[in-house]
Amino acid sequence: MTSDPTGTPKSMIEFLDRLIAGERVSRRSALRRFAAAGLTVGGSSALLAACGGVKGTNEGKTTVDVTKVDHPTKDPVGKVVISNWPLYIDKKVIPGWEKKVGGKLDYIEDYNDNEEFYAKVRQELEAGQPIGRDMVIPTDWMAARWISRGFSEPIDKDNVPNCTANVLPALKSPAFDKNRDFTVPWQSGITAVGYNPKLTGRKLESVNDLFDPKFKGRVTFLTEWRDSAGLVLLAMGKDPVTATKDDYLAAIDKMGEESAKGQIRRFTGNDYAKDLASGNIWACIAWSGDIVQLQPDNPHLEFLVPEQGAMTWSDNMMIPKGAENPYGAETWMNYVYQPPVAAKITEYVNYFCPVKGVKELLIDKSPDLANNQLIFPDEQTLSRLNGYPAFSEADDREITAAMQKVTGA
Amino acid sequence: MSAAQASTTGRAPAGGVRWLTLRRRRALLPAIFVAPGLAWLVVFYAIPIVSQLWVSLQTGNPDDGFAQTYNWSVYPDSLSEYHTHLVRSLGYAGLATILCFVIAFPLAYFIAFKAGRWKSIFLLLIILPFFTSMIVRTVAWQTLLADEGFVVSTLRSLGLLNVLGESGRVLATPQAVIAGITYNFLPFMALPLYASLERMDRGLVEAATDLYASRWTAFRKITLPLAAPGIFAGTLLTFIPAIGDYINAQLLGTPQQYMIGNVIQSQYLNVRDYPVAAALSFIVMVIVLVIIVIAARALGTRRLSEAVAA
Repeated sequence: MTSDPTGTPKSMIEFLDRLIAGERVSRRSALRRFAAAGLTVGGSSALLAACGGVKGTNEGKTTVDVTKVDHPTKDPVGKVVISNWPLYIDKKVIPGWEKKVGGKLDYIEDYNDNEEFYAKVRQELEAGQPIGRDMVIPTDWMAARWISRGFSEPIDKDNVPNCTANVLPALKSPAFDKNRDFTVPWQSGITAVGYNPKLTGRKLESVNDLFDPKFKGRVTFLTEWRDSAGLVLLAMGKDPVTATKDDYLAAIDKMGEESAKGQIRRFTGNDYAKDLASGNIWACIAWSGDIVQLQPDNPHLEFLVPEQGAMTWSDNMMIPKGAENPYGAETWMNYVYQPPVAAKITEYVNYFCPVKGVKELLIDKSPDLANNQLIFPDEQTLSRLNGYPAFSEADDREITAAMQKVTGA
Repeated sequence: MSAAQASTTGRAPAGGVRWLTLRRRRALLPAIFVAPGLAWLVVFYAIPIVSQLWVSLQTGNPDDGFAQTYNWSVYPDSLSEYHTHLVRSLGYAGLATILCFVIAFPLAYFIAFKAGRWKSIFLLLIILPFFTSMIVRTVAWQTLLADEGFVVSTLRSLGLLNVLGESGRVLATPQAVIAGITYNFLPFMALPLYASLERMDRGLVEAATDLYASRWTAFRKITLPLAAPGIFAGTLLTFIPAIGDYINAQLLGTPQQYMIGNVIQSQYLNVRDYPVAAALSFIVMVIVLVIIVIAARALGTRRLSEAVAA
């Protein structure tokens, strides 16, 4: 999940706001919002870091040979430590795994923010020391960073047959980990267009509709360029995965122009949700999870996955380098990729489920959930989804800086 | 024997600790009193400033690290890149300070001279909103000013919607940002004004009117000059933090209203271009310092210390 990258406590406010409004604040996002507020604090450590001679993160890069990985089986598997995002699991599934493999799960909900968690463990990873976790759940682009710096342990595929068999085809080979050698998706989401048809007065079909002068000042985009620029590129007919740096810069320029004209009102993190619900904005770039959570109280809101395509992302299970029990972590991956277990988790977290066969299990029990396009996208929707691009660090920084100028600073 | 004992116990024990004579102790006392504050200033102010200057001259990137290159050009470069934000910050902060004064002066005057036994209640009312976080209060403004919110719908029902211009909204405009800053910093203006008005001897105004000064002249020649330390303190306390404010621009504005604080925040936390962020912070500090020096020169340092005392 892409959390509010501006690191301001906006997200917390939005949460409070909803709380005050008596709105249903659902599970994971609630904590996420507090977490984003916490980033301000995390940011101050970056400030402190800046005071010394600031060390880069590239020192101590290694490459890993994924073909030689072998994690011998253990019985019982013993203790496994997992750091995951808060409220991102139905904990009732844990005893099942413990009984099955003879393990003890230490499940810590301390993964609040990609950058923040990374900042916390970076020095140990660079020094080649264990970080005391057997599994972490970074978002795609952050997983890419760990992998490219040699901070992640490859997965022994012999130990995870369920993952190989049951992962949705659309999520099988992301740009950052072509063969899923290092990662297995935990939950996924879609980034596309959220809008209020009552206010727009018509159905929207494309991201280009957000540039309709009639909606001037009633449109927001996300500060996260991987999402916003990706969608603009799709609307231009380009593939966000293979698009070049210049394509991205052009897309960012386009957003800059629209922002200068006053067409785009703001660039946001999660906080667009409040504006969308209250009618301040009519249409925006939105995350599927937020819309699922808004819909019970705002049934008229629509989520459009345009024909030209939309972006998708996952939070991924990954074993950090130096983990003490990689085999144990793999038994967990294998366990949660059984459809009945995945179904339980989906019922709880309401995100887009990366495991095949879960919808069929839920169709009788909770048809609402099973028929929700944002949790179980159909083939047509799935075929429209695109992953994030993989850029070099220098390009990544250049694009981030360009986006930052456009988003207002 | 006993006399000798008395003298050694009465004085400092003989030998090395002789330096603690009464006179020395007296001489040391100020230093001891100043030390904690001084240490605080050094650790949390002087060292960070030097370190900030040091960081601002580095070049590099967050992935490969930053190295010291004494890159002074970061200052002209970031100035030319972000001067619009800087000018905007000064403009918004200046306007908000003037608005604060216009609103707070009558308020402080009323509380100081007319409120009678309700004085403390009114003062409490001014401070009361500060028991909640500034962010929460600013979010409340978001709701008030929302496109379908209370303010806009009131204007609409009064048929005054055209005052909002073609955008037809209040939220996400410069006016909203300036109003937000004004609201958030009002007590910083009102309280010093109240303090200086309250201390004033009303007999002076009476004397002026006895000497045939009109009420207006008395106000201009007596009340206003006596309130000057309060005006000065209030202006500084409002203007300086308002320059660096980014919450109001972030929550009530659009990227077209973002101020220098927004830039520094995102340079530190998002772009992680520490040198530019440090350079911009330094520039803002220098600007504030220059403003204070000019104000102190214009009003005299005595006024400045009086103002600080207020």
